[in-house]
Amino acid sequence: MSVDEILGQAGKNGRKNLTEVEAKEVLKAVGIGVAETRLAKSVSEAVSIAKDLGFPVALKIVSPQILHKSDVGGVKLNLSNAGEVAAAYDEIVTKVSERQPEAEIYGVAVQQMARPGAEVIVGVSKDEKFGPVLMFGLGGIFVEILKDVSFRLVPIVRRDARQMIKEIKGYPLLEGYRGQEPANVEVLEDVLLKISELVEKHEEIKEMDLNPIFAYRDGAVVVDARIILD
Amino acid sequence: MEQDKINRLDRIFNPRAVVVVGDKKQTNYMWLRGQSEFKGRLYSVNIDAREFEGIAELGIPNYPSVVDVPDDEIDYVIVAVPREVSPIILRDCIKKGVSGAMFFTSGFKETGTEKGIQLQETLTKMAKEAGFPVIGPNCMGIFNPKAGVRSSLTQYTGDGGPVSFISQSGTHSINFGVTGYANGIKANKIVSIGNCIVLEASDYLEYFMQDEETKIIGMYIESVQDGKRFFKLLKECAKVKPVLIWKGGQTPEGARATASHTASLAEPMVVWEAMIKQSGAIRTDGLDEAIDACKTLLYCRPATDYRMGLISTTGGQSVFITDIFAKAGLIIRDFTEESYAEMAGFFNIVGGSFRNPIDMGQNWAGEQVPEMLAVLEKDTTVDAIALELSAGRLRLGTPLAERFLPQLAAFAKETRKPFVVIVPSFALDADAAEVRAQIMALGIPAFHSFERAAKALKGFIDYHRFLREEQ
Repeated sequence: MSVDEILGQAGKNGRKNLTEVEAKEVLKAVGIGVAETRLAKSVSEAVSIAKDLGFPVALKIVSPQILHKSDVGGVKLNLSNAGEVAAAYDEIVTKVSERQPEAEIYGVAVQQMARPGAEVIVGVSKDEKFGPVLMFGLGGIFVEILKDVSFRLVPIVRRDARQMIKEIKGYPLLEGYRGQEPANVEVLEDVLLKISELVEKHEEIKEMDLNPIFAYRDGAVVVDARIILD
Repeated sequence: MEQDKINRLDRIFNPRAVVVVGDKKQTNYMWLRGQSEFKGRLYSVNIDAREFEGIAELGIPNYPSVVDVPDDEIDYVIVAVPREVSPIILRDCIKKGVSGAMFFTSGFKETGTEKGIQLQETLTKMAKEAGFPVIGPNCMGIFNPKAGVRSSLTQYTGDGGPVSFISQSGTHSINFGVTGYANGIKANKIVSIGNCIVLEASDYLEYFMQDEETKIIGMYIESVQDGKRFFKLLKECAKVKPVLIWKGGQTPEGARATASHTASLAEPMVVWEAMIKQSGAIRTDGLDEAIDACKTLLYCRPATDYRMGLISTTGGQSVFITDIFAKAGLIIRDFTEESYAEMAGFFNIVGGSFRNPIDMGQNWAGEQVPEMLAVLEKDTTVDAIALELSAGRLRLGTPLAERFLPQLAAFAKETRKPFVVIVPSFALDADAAEVRAQIMALGIPAFHSFERAAKALKGFIDYHRFLREEQ
């Protein structure tokens, strides 16, 4: 499906929040690597998808009303067999229904656990006057506590992408640290450029949160993604 | 920008006839007297009979309204009436068909009061419907030294230069012109833009971008209206000529101040930092940095790397200059062995040192400084040169000054590298200022301190690196 079609679908249902599956479809459509994620509407479907993708997998609740999945017990990681997947599915649905009863549950997303890599975050927010603002930072406490982030206004060019990555204080971690493989900066630049193009073209996108992205020597994979429309 | 609009702004900035409305004795006729050197025709409009005598004494003809002024080429009207009267004056300006008007009058949206907001809306609506260019309100308008149009009697006239300035503050606009001049930086056109009900920052930026007389554009800015338009223009403009940005309201506290100053709402500083980085504009925090940036842009040859050759007066100063330049992000490394070998040939090492940073020590009185500069010029590991000079030693009229300054000028003319001079004041403020002025007059940037020189040079080199990447 094209980006227009995916966004249109959400709009038709009167939704502002894309599901994780939809958000990843959008990213895939513009050529950004994502952890393959499929929607399961039943336990058996979840198990079948997990077998197809390959263990270990992660299960995450899919609901347009739920933006912070872990907070409501909607995430289960590192499930290594069918039995664990089945149990996790039930547990998630039960917990979420308890904690957020009004939430519409579309199902549970199943994705393969990504190989650990350098964790980075890419975000987009809209400034009233200046339009979309792109953000980059290293995952975890770097963004959340240290606020070690860089910003650029959309549209960006490659020089901007390169500079915004290199100017964060934690940048040396991306060059490889204590056994962790270095991140491919050029691929990260590509991601930033593609996101810039995407939000420039689709003005209805209000907010984006690609968190985390695992960056490897030879590529990058978006493990979780959120897109919110105007 | 459409040619019509450009032509109209050309007229406003270079007026044939100027009208001052509402000037009064209480302010010592600041606006009328401010235009005393104006090259064109000057008129007054005032209906207050108590002012007639004072205005007549100035030798300026007075009329009851703008419409009554017997001149068809009124290009610039300065309005200083109480705010309640401003709509009437605007109406008359539109009726008369003048090129444009600036409203010194304040008490509008910036007061945050209902009356102020209403009055601003009235003016805005009237002006926009008529397509009439308004500068302000709540501003000091235009300073064009060549034309003799001023916003303050502290401003000079006659000496047109290459630097134009767009300011959301009257004070900063005046100070940039006056302090700049004292530092050898000559203004082309300076405009204090106020509340921007019609003409806003982007308009002036677009105008100055195409203005051939303007070689450098400086801006003091608190907020813009059309952010996307401004960003686009900034990117375009910075490639054509350098744009300096002095952002007011960088902190949450400062942002609150901008609300009462120009009724501007806070704009996140990260957004401005991003715009500056992405466009190649030069960030200058404050008047000093803006003036210092102009010095490098006007007088330094381009460079795209940071390796410094430093020459200072003493051991202690050589340590200090190195720390300061290193902290500013510049690089200080050894010169080449060839350079050291050459310097060993003429440098008296008693009390001095020729390893980078050079400590001049006793190597003052003879030819050694020009010789040192010649070595640094040849040294391929040196991208830029900074030289500290002593105000005490170079005071006007001394034999040393008379011999040395021409040598300095000769080097500055030939050098292919950015070359800056620092003359610290210490206890000799007046002498140091004089020496700096002399050196600036030779076309060499002269700075007050190591910090200011280093910052300016770093910004200058960054700017040229940006340009090089753009190619």
